[in-house]
Amino acid sequence: MSDILTTTFLISVLAAAVRAGTPLFFAALGEILAERSGVLNLGLEGLMILGALSGFMVGSATGSPWLGLLAAMISAGLLSLLHAFLCIHLRGNQVVSGIMLVLLGMGLSSFVGENLVGKTTQGFQPLPIPILSQLPILGPVLFQHSALVYLAILLAFLSWLFLFKTRWGLEVIAVGESPEAADTVGVPVQAIRYACVLIGGMLAGIGGAFLSLAYTRMWVDQMTAGRGWIAVALVIFSAWLPQRALLGAYFFGGIEGLQLRLQAAGIGISYHILQMMPYLATIFVLIFSARREFRQKIGAPAALMKPYVRGERA
Amino acid sequence: MKKKSWLTGIVIVLLFSVLSTFVLTVQAQDKLKVAFIYVSPVGDFGWSYAHDQGRKYLEKTLNYVETAYTESVAPPDVERVIRDYAQKGYKVIFTTSFEFMDPTLEVAKDFPDTIFEHCSGYKTAKNVGTYFGRIHEAAYLSGLVAGKMTRKNRLGFVAAHPIPEVIRNINSFTKGVREVNPQATVKVVWTGSWYDPPKEKEAALSLIEAGADVIAQHQDSPAALEAAKEKQVYSVGYNNDMSQFNPEGFLTAPVWNWGPFYVEVVKSVKEGTWKSEAYWKGFEAGIIDIAPYGKVVPQEVRDFVDKRKQEIKEGKFKVWPDKSDEELLKMNYFIEGVEGQIPK
Amino acid sequence: MFFKILNSFITILLALLVGMVPLILTGNNPVRAYLALFQGAFGSLYGLTETLVKAIPLILTGLAVSFPLRAGFWNIGAEGQLYLGAIAATWVALTFGHLASFILLPLVILSGFLAGALWGLIPAFLKIRLQVNEILLTLMMNYIAVNGSNYLVYGPLKDPQGANFPITATFSEAAWLPRLPGTRLHAGIILAFTMTGVLYLILSKTRLGYEIKVVGANPRVALYGGISLMTVTLIVMAIGGGLAGLAGVGEVAGLQHRLRKDISPGYGYTAIPIALLGKGHPIGVTIAALLFGALFVGGSHMQQTTKVPVALISIIQALVVLFVVAGEALRSSSFGVRSPLQKITGP
Repeated sequence: MSDILTTTFLISVLAAAVRAGTPLFFAALGEILAERSGVLNLGLEGLMILGALSGFMVGSATGSPWLGLLAAMISAGLLSLLHAFLCIHLRGNQVVSGIMLVLLGMGLSSFVGENLVGKTTQGFQPLPIPILSQLPILGPVLFQHSALVYLAILLAFLSWLFLFKTRWGLEVIAVGESPEAADTVGVPVQAIRYACVLIGGMLAGIGGAFLSLAYTRMWVDQMTAGRGWIAVALVIFSAWLPQRALLGAYFFGGIEGLQLRLQAAGIGISYHILQMMPYLATIFVLIFSARREFRQKIGAPAALMKPYVRGERA
Repeated sequence: MKKKSWLTGIVIVLLFSVLSTFVLTVQAQDKLKVAFIYVSPVGDFGWSYAHDQGRKYLEKTLNYVETAYTESVAPPDVERVIRDYAQKGYKVIFTTSFEFMDPTLEVAKDFPDTIFEHCSGYKTAKNVGTYFGRIHEAAYLSGLVAGKMTRKNRLGFVAAHPIPEVIRNINSFTKGVREVNPQATVKVVWTGSWYDPPKEKEAALSLIEAGADVIAQHQDSPAALEAAKEKQVYSVGYNNDMSQFNPEGFLTAPVWNWGPFYVEVVKSVKEGTWKSEAYWKGFEAGIIDIAPYGKVVPQEVRDFVDKRKQEIKEGKFKVWPDKSDEELLKMNYFIEGVEGQIPK
Repeated sequence: MFFKILNSFITILLALLVGMVPLILTGNNPVRAYLALFQGAFGSLYGLTETLVKAIPLILTGLAVSFPLRAGFWNIGAEGQLYLGAIAATWVALTFGHLASFILLPLVILSGFLAGALWGLIPAFLKIRLQVNEILLTLMMNYIAVNGSNYLVYGPLKDPQGANFPITATFSEAAWLPRLPGTRLHAGIILAFTMTGVLYLILSKTRLGYEIKVVGANPRVALYGGISLMTVTLIVMAIGGGLAGLAGVGEVAGLQHRLRKDISPGYGYTAIPIALLGKGHPIGVTIAALLFGALFVGGSHMQQTTKVPVALISIIQALVVLFVVAGEALRSSSFGVRSPLQKITGP
């Protein structure tokens, strides 16, 4: 019992949370962008797994994890364009199209990846940051990871800057809240939505590549294991805010690491009960944010799931 | 009139069934069809991989055998897949996961002429045999190596499900460790899953962070070795020689060698001498072994463990001298030196 | 009607055609693979029964999605409702195992239905009362249900004689749904077909069906017409959730005879494209579910005989959905799904 009150224990749980939370964050950030522009993309699971596979394939073939990462972004980006075309252009159903992405990503990756099972790659190795990694507590928790973990932290800041401090970001928000109004002032609604879904898909691809290139450094069939769906929850949990999504991702990711470490410390708590916590918290946020007085602040974008046609009034 | 058409119907049905039996027998005489059903992908480099090596060995050794397999069979589909093979005239069906036990027996009831062999369970029937290897003896030997090699006297064990098969391995491993190193302890973390590489890796990391400098496992993927490699601690693999995943720190691994057993079973079916039994043999039958030692293991340790292996093989040494097979098969407690809980 | 069928047929053909691309790229013979697929699903009496077995949960969850959708309610929670049904059925079967079959079996079925219905009523209530987005809410509730079920099989419901493995004890035979001898086809198929008929009748012949369709088409009109949004939504979700619960009953009482981890490989999610493919019509949904069931079963046979990975099946399913979504959108037809979504489901 006394084992868990030590700083070593705390550090190891937090470091695990950062490690496990990073792929969730990438996917959730992508989804925030898409949803902020008004397009729901439930296909994160499919985008991530495709990213994990293509990242591993190219990464191990070329020996360069960065090229692998690029491949993951391209493949997941292409798949998300399909979603964009169906939902924005054809105004198809976003929920069903998202499910289609999951089926397609799962099927494609397991079909193509059959011969890669059991292979390993160098991938992204831990890259401790000089000086910072020597800090007490914060060092081992945050600064002794692979490069992608730092990229995630950087992106959380940059995307907050982008969304709320630049004109483009405000246009994205405007498109997601009221496409009609945005259109009247000359914002290219459809183009912005396309861009957001595309970039969102690429980010989900990075999340997947993190799993195969930095986490296990091997390809395993269906290795996303539901993480794409957790990322969907995370978007709601973080109230569509990038910076909150980072903390939320660490919280969600920390659950598994915490349970294993509690075991190692001799405390048995049901894994499944712990596993429920993020979803319970998300449901709570969902219900809470539905109240009128909070909806503006922490609710979903008003035009989420509403295709836009010029001249049509919702 | 009515009677006549009835009669014709019966004759046709009879003729048809005779004919189809004939066709089936002719087919069967062609080649003996043997099916394997796996719980995980054959590329897992673990449990199913080991069985599939055995299948390939079987196909190579007996030229009258034709094999087929289905991998990654999920619980809702187990019975369908087994039944499917039985239906298609497969003569011998190996079902290679503990969870497949009840569906195997269920299907076997409807196909009395098909031979079923279920791996790692405890229920048999007239046409259902069960088989397993005394892998815990290999786990014990790997424990001897690990006990000699640990410097911090803290070892970790990543384990799948708290069933006797796994508990027996943990206890045997620990027995080996403590025999050469009485102060050492083995800490256990359950993942609740045979095959979940990210989780296996995270579990291994949690043990390393808790101070373990040797990580052993009863899991089907090499993910724990990946963690050990990253943190530069020693690894004991499982199922297969996993040395490639932690070349610097690999010690050894309890490994399976199913091939000879599969040949033996299929041969006895062919010759008509097969009988349902609960097969549980060890080194003497060649069904288990330990992987070649890693390069860090010094010669004196190798000699010591090799000698013990020979003694076990010749029946001169027993890992659990005071326990019957029955007791071993039901083991559901940890011995002294194991740190961890068996979930109730 | 004829054109609708022709349309779906062309869609499927198109999906199979595009599905050939990965086959050819990997050096497989697509004709051989598809022949094996077809033969596996329909080529034998056994294959046919297996297709039906696989279709049972797909029909029931497909209806669980499509029926509420007629009233404009997106039920992504069929997976969770299925688990709730399985849990309740298991509890009843294990607790009252000594009862005779003619009492126990109805109890098992009823409990599964009720549990699924209750789980479905929660999001229905929260949506109407608090305007909570039901798509996200039902999705989240799935994870509560699945983890809850896992907690039970790893803990309180674990078989004391099961060597510590995460499975419950086997039900007494009184709680088993009867099977067609020699096959796995269980009485769940009767439940599924009956429910298809019942929903068809409700939608086409009753006042309730009319109200459901009005709410789905335009909730504002429904309000003026004196139709209670709350009542209609609660009813469709009680029925929808209950049907998914029955799917869970079928899996535990008809197939596994116990509860275990991962009792469903995602039937509740596959149900969503099935609902779309079936155009929200109960009979259409049933046909779509049979098609998806056939793909699963045929796919397994295809893997055995031609070594083509089963993953191809997910690709083909995805392509079917892709072409249906695209086709729907292109014709921007009046399938009562998109319009209500645009009008009432404020997030």
